[in-house]
Amino acid sequence: MLNFKQIFAFAVSGFFILFFIDSNFSQGFQVNLQGQKQQAMGSAGTGLITDGAGLFFNPGTVVFLDENSINVAATPTFANTTYLDLATKKNFKTISPVGTPFSFYGLFQLKKHAKLKLGLAAYTPFGSTIEWEENWIGRFAVTRLQLKSIFIQPTISYRFADNIGFGAGLVISSGSVTLQKDIPIQYDNGTFANAELSGSATSFGFNAGIYYEPNPKLSIGLNYRSKITMKVENGQAIFNVPASLDTSFPDGVFSSSLPLPQVITLGFGSKVNSKLSFALDLNHVSWNAYDTLAFDYQQNTSSLEDTKSPRHYKNIIAIRLGSSYKLSKKLELRGGFGFALSPVQDGYVTPETPDGTRYNFTTGIGYKFNKHFSMDFSFLYVQVHRQDKNLETNLEGTFLTKVISPGLGIIYKW
Amino acid sequence: MKQVLLLLFIFICIGCKPKIDVIEPNAGEINPSHFVCLGGGEMAGYCNDALYYNGQEQSLGNLLAKQLKLVGGEDFSQPLMPESSVGISHNGLSKLILGYKTDCLNNSSLSPVRLATSGDLSALNTSVYNPSVSFGNWGIPGLKIPDVFSLNYSNPFYTRMQSSAGISILDESIFSNNATFFAIYLGVEDVLAFAKSGATTDSMTPLSGAIGLDFENSLSIILATLSGSGAKGVISTIPDVTQLPYFTTIPINSLDLDSANAHTLNSVYNPIGFDFVVGTNSFMIEDPSANAFGVRPLEDGERILLSTPLDSVKCFKMGSVFPFRSEFILTIDEINEIQTRINQYNAVIKNLAEQYNLAVVDTKEWYHGLNNGMVYNGSPINSSFVSGSVFSLDGITLTGRGNALLCNEFINAINSKYNANIPKVNALEYNAILFP
Repeated sequence: MLNFKQIFAFAVSGFFILFFIDSNFSQGFQVNLQGQKQQAMGSAGTGLITDGAGLFFNPGTVVFLDENSINVAATPTFANTTYLDLATKKNFKTISPVGTPFSFYGLFQLKKHAKLKLGLAAYTPFGSTIEWEENWIGRFAVTRLQLKSIFIQPTISYRFADNIGFGAGLVISSGSVTLQKDIPIQYDNGTFANAELSGSATSFGFNAGIYYEPNPKLSIGLNYRSKITMKVENGQAIFNVPASLDTSFPDGVFSSSLPLPQVITLGFGSKVNSKLSFALDLNHVSWNAYDTLAFDYQQNTSSLEDTKSPRHYKNIIAIRLGSSYKLSKKLELRGGFGFALSPVQDGYVTPETPDGTRYNFTTGIGYKFNKHFSMDFSFLYVQVHRQDKNLETNLEGTFLTKVISPGLGIIYKW
Repeated sequence: MKQVLLLLFIFICIGCKPKIDVIEPNAGEINPSHFVCLGGGEMAGYCNDALYYNGQEQSLGNLLAKQLKLVGGEDFSQPLMPESSVGISHNGLSKLILGYKTDCLNNSSLSPVRLATSGDLSALNTSVYNPSVSFGNWGIPGLKIPDVFSLNYSNPFYTRMQSSAGISILDESIFSNNATFFAIYLGVEDVLAFAKSGATTDSMTPLSGAIGLDFENSLSIILATLSGSGAKGVISTIPDVTQLPYFTTIPINSLDLDSANAHTLNSVYNPIGFDFVVGTNSFMIEDPSANAFGVRPLEDGERILLSTPLDSVKCFKMGSVFPFRSEFILTIDEINEIQTRINQYNAVIKNLAEQYNLAVVDTKEWYHGLNNGMVYNGSPINSSFVSGSVFSLDGITLTGRGNALLCNEFINAINSKYNANIPKVNALEYNAILFP
C-alpha cells in the first residue's frame, strides 16, 4: 500500500553537498584558512614569499625561505546563518558550534642556501559542524552536518635560479562526514523520523607551483591544485522511523563520490619599498566537475533505488587583494579584501551550501619576538547573501551567513 | 589581555548574528478584525473521518484565522470538541488511526482502524453554544448549500452549535454579526455524498432552482448577505471529488488470479463472452445496461470505492464470481455526471465571485496538481493514500498539513486580490499521517 520511494530519495539525496561547506572556504573560494599571513591579506599570497604556509599557497615559494621552520596555527571560526523563509516570513537560525581549522607546516633544508627544500604540510580544509535550530523549515534537507578532515602534503621545492622556484607536493586527503536530516514521516506523537548518513573517504591529489621574480619589485606565482575525487565506499545509512515502516527504510550501505575541483591561481606580488608590499591572487576553480550527485546502494529494494541529483555547478573566478606594511622591525600590519562569485547556480542553493557572492574583509598583525620566534594574528570577516528557490526541495527564501574567524599562528625557525 | 578577549567576544556575538529585514505583514484592502468562515469538512477540521479537537485546531478555518490575526484579526472561536475525545464521525464512529488489521487470510497489515469501539456521541449531542461567544468557524461537516437555509437542519454537527432550535444557519449570528471578512468553501458536500454512495443515493444539489433548494440562487443569497455590510471575502472552487484517494486507491485491475481461479471464472464467464487470464484482471461489476446478464468488467477510468469490503474480495469472490454492486463503483457515466456538475458549480462560483468582487481560490486546480505531486520544503506531497501526506485516513478530507497547504492557497488569493501581505502557514507544523 505504501510507496515511500520518493520520500526515500529525498532522505538520501543531497548527502554529499556537505563536503562543500568548508571546501567552499578552501578549495572553492580560497578563503583559505591555511595561513595566518595570507588570511590577513585577503587570502592572497600565491605570488609572495611568506612562510611555511607557502606549502599550500604555492610550493614554489618556500625554497626561497632560507630556514628550517615549524609553523602551527589555528583559526576558530564562528559562522552563523539565518534563513528567512519567503512564504511564512519566519526566520530560522543555525546553532553551530565553533569550528577549529588548524594548520601545520614544517620546512627543512640540509644546508644553508640549499637549492632543495623539503616540506611537510597538514591542514584541515574542512572540519566544522553546521546545526540548524530545532524544527526549522528546511529540516528535510539537513538538520546537522559534521565534517572532519585532514590533508597531508609532503612537498619538495627546488630553486632553478635565484629568481625561479618550483615546488610540488602529493596531497593525501582524508575526510569523514555525518549528515542528519529529518524524513517527512511522523511518529504517532507527531515527531518526525530522521536519517543519519555517514561515510569517510581517502584520496590523493597534488599541489604544484612556480614562483618567478622578473625584478626585485615584482614577483609572479602560478599554483595548480589538482581535482581530488573523494570516494565513499562504505557509507552507512541509518534510519530512525516508526516501527511499522522499518522494512521500508532498511539501514544500509551505499557508495558515492564527490569531486573537489581543481584550482588554478595566478598570483602577483609587489614590493613597493622595504616596508610596503601588495599581493593579488586570481583563482579559477573548475566547479563544473560537480555536475551530478549520485548514490549507488549496495542492495537496491523497491523503496531504495540508486539516485542521481543534478547539481550543475559552474566554474568561478575569485579575486584576492592584500597588503602588508612594516611599522617596525618587529611589527607588521596587514589587510585585505576578497571577492568570489558563487559556483551554485540559481535553483540549486541548499541549506548545506547557502552560497552566494562572497565578500571577505581581512586584517591582521605579525610580531617578531626574536630571530627564532614570531607570531601572526589574523581576522577574517565574510558575509554571504543569497536568495533562491531550490528546484528540488522548493525551499524558497534568503540565506544570510556571517563568518568571523580570528586566527593565531606561531612560527619557530632556526 | 582579558579586556581584549572580552571585546573580541562581544564583537563576535554582535557581528556574527545575521539579521534579515522582513517586509511587515499587512492586511491590504481587507479588514480582518472580525473573520467568519462557512464550509464543510475541511473548514470544520473534520479529518480521519471524525470531528475531534486536534483536527479542529488544524482546520482550514482556524489556520486562516491564525494568519489573519498576524494582520489585525481578532480572536476566532470554534465549536471545539473536548480535548480528550476520541472524535465522532458522520456514522457515529471514532476517528481513524493507522494500526494493524488482520484480514480473512490472517495477514496483518498497516491499515486505517478506529481509535475506539464507538464515537463520542455524548460530545456530539452536547450543545457548545455560548451566548457570549460568537463562533467564527461555521464549517459544518456534511453542509450542503441548501442546508444553510433550512429551519430544521438536523445535522448534529450543526445542532450542537445552534443558538436555538428551529433557526437556520442563515439566521445565525454569522450573518447578523457584521463579519468584516469571510471565507467560503462550500459545494464539496453537495456532490460528495452522492459520489460516496457510488452514485446510488443522496442526489447532488440541483444547479438552479428555488432559493434554499438549489446551488446558484442559494449561494448568491449567502454571498449577498455576507457582503451586505461591505465585508470583503474569499471563495473557493470545488475539486474533482472523483480523484480523491477514496475513489482512486484500489486499482481496478487488481484481480490477481492463479490458473485454478482463472479456470473457474472462465467456466462462469466464457459463455457470456468474458475471458480471464492468469495474473491481473479487471474486477467484474453489476451493470444492468451492459448485456442481458447485467455484468461486465470494469473499464479504464472507472473507480472502486474505499468502502468496498476487502475481505469479501479476498476470500469470498466479491468482484469476480459475485460482481461488485453499484454502491462500490463509479462508472464512467457516473464520473462524467459528477464532473459535469462540479464544473457547473465552479462556473457559478466564478461568476458570483466576480459579481460580489471576491477573491477566488482555484482549489480545483490545486487538487489537480496533487495528482502529479509537489514538493513542499523538501517533503513530497501528492494525492496518494497515506504516503501522500495530504489526505487523511478517510481518503477524502485533508490532514492538518493538507489544510495548511490549502490555507496557503487561500492566502495567495487574498494577497493578490486585495494587495495584502499575509504570511503563509508553515505547513510542517501540522500533522500529516501518524505512524505506529
